[in-house]
Amino acid sequence: MNLYEYEGKKLFSRYGIAIPRSVLWRKGNEPRRQWMKNPVVLKAQILAGERKKTGGILFASGAADVARRSRALFRKIVAGEAVKNILVEERVLSAHEWYVSFSYDTARRAPVLALSPRGGTGIAHAHTTAIDLSSGVEDFLFRDAIRSAGFQREDIFPLLGVVKKLWSIFWNESALLAEINPLFRLSSGELVAGDAKIIFDDEKVSPGARRFIALGGDIAILASGGGASLLSIDALVRVGGRPANYTEYSGNPPASVVRALTKKVLSQKGLRGCWVVGGTANFTDIYETLSGFVAGLREVRPRPRYPIVIRRDGPRQREAFRTLERVREDEGYQLYFSGSETSLSESARAMVEHSYRNTGVRRARK
Amino acid sequence: MSILVDKKTRVLIQGITGHEGARACREMLSYGTRVLAGVTPGKGGRKIEGVPVYDGIREAILRHPGINTSLIAVPALFVRDAAAEAIKNKISLINILTEHVTVRDSAWIVARSRSRGVRVVGPSSVGIISPGKGKVGSIGSSAVEKKIFSPGPVGIISKSGGMTAEIGVLLTRAGIGQSTAVGIGGDQIIGSDFADLLTLFERDPATQAVVLFGEVGGSYEEEAARLISQRKFTKPVVAIIAGYFTKDIAPATVLGHAGAIVSRGRGGYYSKVLALKKAGVHVASTLEDIPKIIKSILRL
Repeated sequence: MNLYEYEGKKLFSRYGIAIPRSVLWRKGNEPRRQWMKNPVVLKAQILAGERKKTGGILFASGAADVARRSRALFRKIVAGEAVKNILVEERVLSAHEWYVSFSYDTARRAPVLALSPRGGTGIAHAHTTAIDLSSGVEDFLFRDAIRSAGFQREDIFPLLGVVKKLWSIFWNESALLAEINPLFRLSSGELVAGDAKIIFDDEKVSPGARRFIALGGDIAILASGGGASLLSIDALVRVGGRPANYTEYSGNPPASVVRALTKKVLSQKGLRGCWVVGGTANFTDIYETLSGFVAGLREVRPRPRYPIVIRRDGPRQREAFRTLERVREDEGYQLYFSGSETSLSESARAMVEHSYRNTGVRRARK
Repeated sequence: MSILVDKKTRVLIQGITGHEGARACREMLSYGTRVLAGVTPGKGGRKIEGVPVYDGIREAILRHPGINTSLIAVPALFVRDAAAEAIKNKISLINILTEHVTVRDSAWIVARSRSRGVRVVGPSSVGIISPGKGKVGSIGSSAVEKKIFSPGPVGIISKSGGMTAEIGVLLTRAGIGQSTAVGIGGDQIIGSDFADLLTLFERDPATQAVVLFGEVGGSYEEEAARLISQRKFTKPVVAIIAGYFTKDIAPATVLGHAGAIVSRGRGGYYSKVLALKKAGVHVASTLEDIPKIIKSILRL
């Protein structure tokens, strides 16, 4: 879960990292503050990065200017997101802009502290130090990192304070990323966070949530298994299919979970087919999951008349397919099903042929 | 021979009284793997499938000093503690079946196990199987086992549990057996990555080639490519990378496995495929190509 800048800055405040004076401006609810007569920055609260480039950040001074520019910003779509909130911040006149972040590095399989005395360049150009969790996280490790990154001697202690607080946020809140870019160093030596980028671990926020991502096509996807789901969509795309969504259930979900997911996926508009796909399950009960699918299918209105191709194998697959046969006979759904004797690619091809048959849609070359 | 699991494997199951733990216990016993004991704090004294349950590992090891492998099947919140207990008791191989462990806990477990010389496979690992010798975890259900894995010369390392079995099926059907198949899990931080296990397969005389199943996100595939380029792994490798379609998806979107994050310029589909190809790895675009490539490489 990604936090908006204003949410991240609230967290910074709570942990004692200084932030500029600011107020959140919700659409239609104009704030008035004495300090807003000074030069301010209007910052669109969206999740996309590089807001300066995409026009999500404007500078203003004086009440009239602030009102005029914020109205314009509220009307904008920045990087595909409508602007619902603006963070109005007092402009900080800083001597320097630095970069500080904690994140995980898969190469070192550890948290890394990234530091740079040149902000704005991002993590790519920062000096990184892996945090060894097998020993204690001590101040001297952070001090060494600060010196190695090229900061001046007099900046060691002020920066150490910020780094320690940011580490507390990263660790205590189970974040995947805690970034300050830029960290302003005022001429007084004070350090103020200019921006906040926090990503929480979804396993902490909503454990076991099912992911659903719209892909804009017309073949609904119900895939099982994280790996199978990616590979299946690859296979479909390679034979000219247009996936409507990405979604996946993994582990051994009860029928009710699959039923709810089926209803959600089949309620998408403009569908031409549905592909229920997975590999050879190690332990997922195929009868249980496909029973959930059938239950969900029966509840979808209008009744799906498009082809439904199922490719699934594993424990209790035969029982599951006997049920599907009855559903096809008795209820007239256009059901096609097969086990692992049909490859993922063959099943993808069958899906595309059934879905786009007689529709004049040209299929991509194999 | 094989890697990680063989006839000498003696298993302890942490979380044996839970649904997943009990099922894995049944599966391992029916495969002929020796499960000596289980642990569930507060539930010691009972038996699951004839296997004695203890309240802690220290107690279990006193009674069963032969234990050399632990399968962790406790709920995600307790995985870090369970791993710490297994590491403290010097169990040399820990396989974590549990899914949805936070990256923070995984990173902690990796650091602790490395500093103590303990090997961890997982979290979110479907298990490890050395066909005909033994298995740990939920890999290869007994209901469909005979169709899936068979003994032979090919190693499998996969981020996906389902695809471990799928590749096993395709190889077995083509008459190609496997030395050991390992589900390493698709999380962002994992105990053993492709490179770690390739190093073990390099030393295993029974393994003549290895199949890798990778995914977009992270850098484990790139690390494998680097190891192969440095000639630290010299046997033929066939890889398949899932997530070709993500080239058109917004950055920072998390897909199926927690580690499959689409990120700008790094860990993308082409980055991985190019790195592997450069290292001389055969990259298959469909699963069905894998047995064909293996056959031509091994001249079967």
